[in-house]
Amino acid sequence: MSIEVKSELNHSVSQVLNKPKESQIKNALAILLSNKAAMIGAMIIIFYLLIALFAPLLAPYDPYAINLDNKFIPPSADHWMGTDDKGRDILSRLLYGSRLSMGVGFAAVAFGALFGIMCGLIAGYYGKWVDSIIMRVMDILLAFPGILLALAIIAALGPSLINVTIAVGAFSVPLFARIVRGSTLEVKKLEYIDAVRSLGANDFVIIFKHILPNILSPIIIQGTLRLATAILSAAGLSFLGLGAQPPSPEWGTMLSSGRDFLFSAPYIALFPGLAISILVLGFNIFGDGLRDALDPRMKN
Amino acid sequence: MAMFIFRRLFQTIPVIIGVTFVVFFIMQLVPGDPAVILAGEGASKETIEALREQLGLNQPLIIQYFDYITSLLKGDFGTSLKSSQPVLDEILVRLPITMELAFVSILITIFLGMAAGIIAAIKPYSLQDIGVMLIALLGISLPSFWLGLMLMYFFSVKLQILPVAGWDSPLHIILPAITLGVGGAAIVARMTRSSMLEVIGQDYIRTARAKGIKETIIIFKHALRNALIPVITVVGLQFGALLGGTVLVESIFAINGLGRMIVDAIRMRDLPMVQGGVLVASLIFVIVNLLVDIFYRLFNKRIDLN
Amino acid sequence: MAEKEIPILEVKGLKTYFTTKKGTSKPVDGIDFVLNKGETLGIVGESGCGKSMTSLSILRLIPSPSGKIAGGSILFKGKDLVKLPESEMRKVRGNDISMIFQEPMTSLNPVIPVGEQIAEAIRLHQNLGKKAAWEKSVEMLRLVGIPSPEKRAKQEPFQLSGGMRQRVMIAMALACSPEILIADEPTTALDVTIQAQILEIIKNLQKQLGMGVIMITHDLGVVAETCDQVVVMYAGNIVEHTSSKELFANPKHPYTQGLLASLPNITEDVEELRTIEGTIPSPYNLPKGCRFSSRCPHSKDICSERNPELFEVSDDTKVRCWIYSDNWNNQSKREEECLNEKHS
Repeated sequence: MSIEVKSELNHSVSQVLNKPKESQIKNALAILLSNKAAMIGAMIIIFYLLIALFAPLLAPYDPYAINLDNKFIPPSADHWMGTDDKGRDILSRLLYGSRLSMGVGFAAVAFGALFGIMCGLIAGYYGKWVDSIIMRVMDILLAFPGILLALAIIAALGPSLINVTIAVGAFSVPLFARIVRGSTLEVKKLEYIDAVRSLGANDFVIIFKHILPNILSPIIIQGTLRLATAILSAAGLSFLGLGAQPPSPEWGTMLSSGRDFLFSAPYIALFPGLAISILVLGFNIFGDGLRDALDPRMKN
Repeated sequence: MAMFIFRRLFQTIPVIIGVTFVVFFIMQLVPGDPAVILAGEGASKETIEALREQLGLNQPLIIQYFDYITSLLKGDFGTSLKSSQPVLDEILVRLPITMELAFVSILITIFLGMAAGIIAAIKPYSLQDIGVMLIALLGISLPSFWLGLMLMYFFSVKLQILPVAGWDSPLHIILPAITLGVGGAAIVARMTRSSMLEVIGQDYIRTARAKGIKETIIIFKHALRNALIPVITVVGLQFGALLGGTVLVESIFAINGLGRMIVDAIRMRDLPMVQGGVLVASLIFVIVNLLVDIFYRLFNKRIDLN
Repeated sequence: MAEKEIPILEVKGLKTYFTTKKGTSKPVDGIDFVLNKGETLGIVGESGCGKSMTSLSILRLIPSPSGKIAGGSILFKGKDLVKLPESEMRKVRGNDISMIFQEPMTSLNPVIPVGEQIAEAIRLHQNLGKKAAWEKSVEMLRLVGIPSPEKRAKQEPFQLSGGMRQRVMIAMALACSPEILIADEPTTALDVTIQAQILEIIKNLQKQLGMGVIMITHDLGVVAETCDQVVVMYAGNIVEHTSSKELFANPKHPYTQGLLASLPNITEDVEELRTIEGTIPSPYNLPKGCRFSSRCPHSKDICSERNPELFEVSDDTKVRCWIYSDNWNNQSKREEECLNEKHS
């Protein structure tokens, strides 16, 4: 009986909390929809996602089929983006490659976000020495310049696309942890967290049911902007030959093989780079718009 | 202020220890027996055993880490598996090149970025603002390795006004430095603009206007100095991204610096070299951040005490 | 003495509007007043009534591009400031008309020594060299009562207390001996003893320099102490324009009466201060009738129908209230007329 009452109370508390949340989301969505730049960004991202999804239907040629009679054909009606040094159709390879390049980006951010969010929630919620230890570790991870931490990890694990994913993800962990910790500290101070706790909710419920849903905005913003960086870093590592290996149509790898023919056939390097640039641009402008819509305080 | 510097120096020590630990620990992730790997293929059991003994690999990890730190303090960064030279020597040959590149690049980041940010902020939401900010958005979105190749194609292959690659003359530094500096410049430009806009909305700018001061003097004398304070931190962080970026840019332009050394070492599984290279680059970044913090404090003390 | 001078400032039908996504707001909606040499005019009202925007409009410092002077004129010795090109306007600012802002903590540039912040204006408007301007700046600091001004001039604002900073603001505003000083809540951010000192400084300097002062405040105590004539503003309108004496002796507008009633009274021993109920209407959405009608204890139908004009009730008093119209008492008749007018 008493348990039932408790859960009912609990329910009403979360109802009270969810109501303004809903209108908040609607409000943010309205701002987002009225932000032209963000919409352009969203359209770019959706366009790329559709390409990745329907690559086999869209690709005019087999991305792996070597045809040495057809090598180095400049962009033409038959091969819109030309062919590479092995006679493979660059457009087809780009279309297929979108799955790899975007996939690595998403996977790396998901991995980094998962660990980062956990660390940030635990540090922010429990505070004291737990917080100090976790955040000092994050500080140390942030002390590595740029992609050098990723390089060290790949050096140990060996070059492969999966290891690139882990390495790129690892260097997003501290960024997510910092943001989540900060937001958790803010939400933790709110009275309703005390109310929920007094109703007997345990830490697990408080963290995942009451704190996490309230700090999603900064996580989503950070995630979108991280995606841009992750895709860039992963392609860069593959460009260095530390990620996907030829004949993979991963964009960084394609670019890397294109550099050998920069003098005679610059289009081989041109198109994969354009593909990366436009996608990253899409994530950046969408991320900027998202930030304006969800969190006016973060605007800068 | 001296107190602050002292405290800040003291805070840096655990970070440096942590960095060495992470570098040490990551190398423990190498699958397989390190002695077997270090001895190379086809080494006899005795050789492997001797190497294990010599390197202390049969000791507990914590002892190994302690040994690692002690030798680091003695200046012993290990020996390259490929060249059999001390890692530190190899690094010291290349470090000046990378630092030169990083220095010119950070100058581009700072001056190009600030100039663009100021130009945008002077007339917010005007055509010039939107134009500059669009370019900045492009700047943060272009992959440096692609930008480098395209610049090389355009200036070295098509126009033939700049050398393709290498590191022989001051001309050689132009394209790599632009490639490396542009991304940071874009970020500094965005930061400068938003910081300027915030400062321009402050009461003391209105006071200056009420005195009848010209808009250009307001921008450069009254607004800029205040607006640059938060930009300093961003520049410090950009230096880290830039150091990481040398890995790509040095590879593209065939520059024999620290970044390219690390990449080559990874390809050749020369782990002590990777370890040493990453460690040195990270320590430089830690020191730069320390300097930036102190500089920021010097610049900012007035506002802090408010 | 009897000779009539042209007033140094004449504001006629001034309207300042803001256009934003939310719509058009009208913080200043048709303001008239006249300031004579050596005189002090008080502008009184709650925050948001448009008094600060009025003063910023006079110096043409309204935040652009959203804000604009939408109508009216501001005649400075007969010259219309509204029509002045920006470069000419800059010569007026800080030289002919200067301003003291309400936030001494944020109104000084944190990274420039205060002496330089004063000297800068002197160099600009008085063609003095670097050294002479600096000496004048130190002199100004001495004039506003800052001890050891040579040392203080070299300091940055963070090294000065709030009261000192406000004195610096005054020194800065007076450095070029302006003809008009606009003081926007010059004492709000300061504690009481310093408030009195600052007001005293302004009064003394006014006597010495013979300038006209516009004192913007929500503090009727300040008005009583300093002003000759008073303008009471409410929601972008002037609701009462009278002499300082008359304002306290015989307030006419219900809003003014409310303001005075909310002052602590030493002679009566009351537990609680009276307040005016309700809030000021949003400048985006002004009512059709009298803007005070929703809070007015005397409100009748006509009050929400039409905004009254300023009725002249005596030589020096004008009130924007239907009570002072001829037929307040036959109000229903008025209302009919009013309706007929609309139908025709």
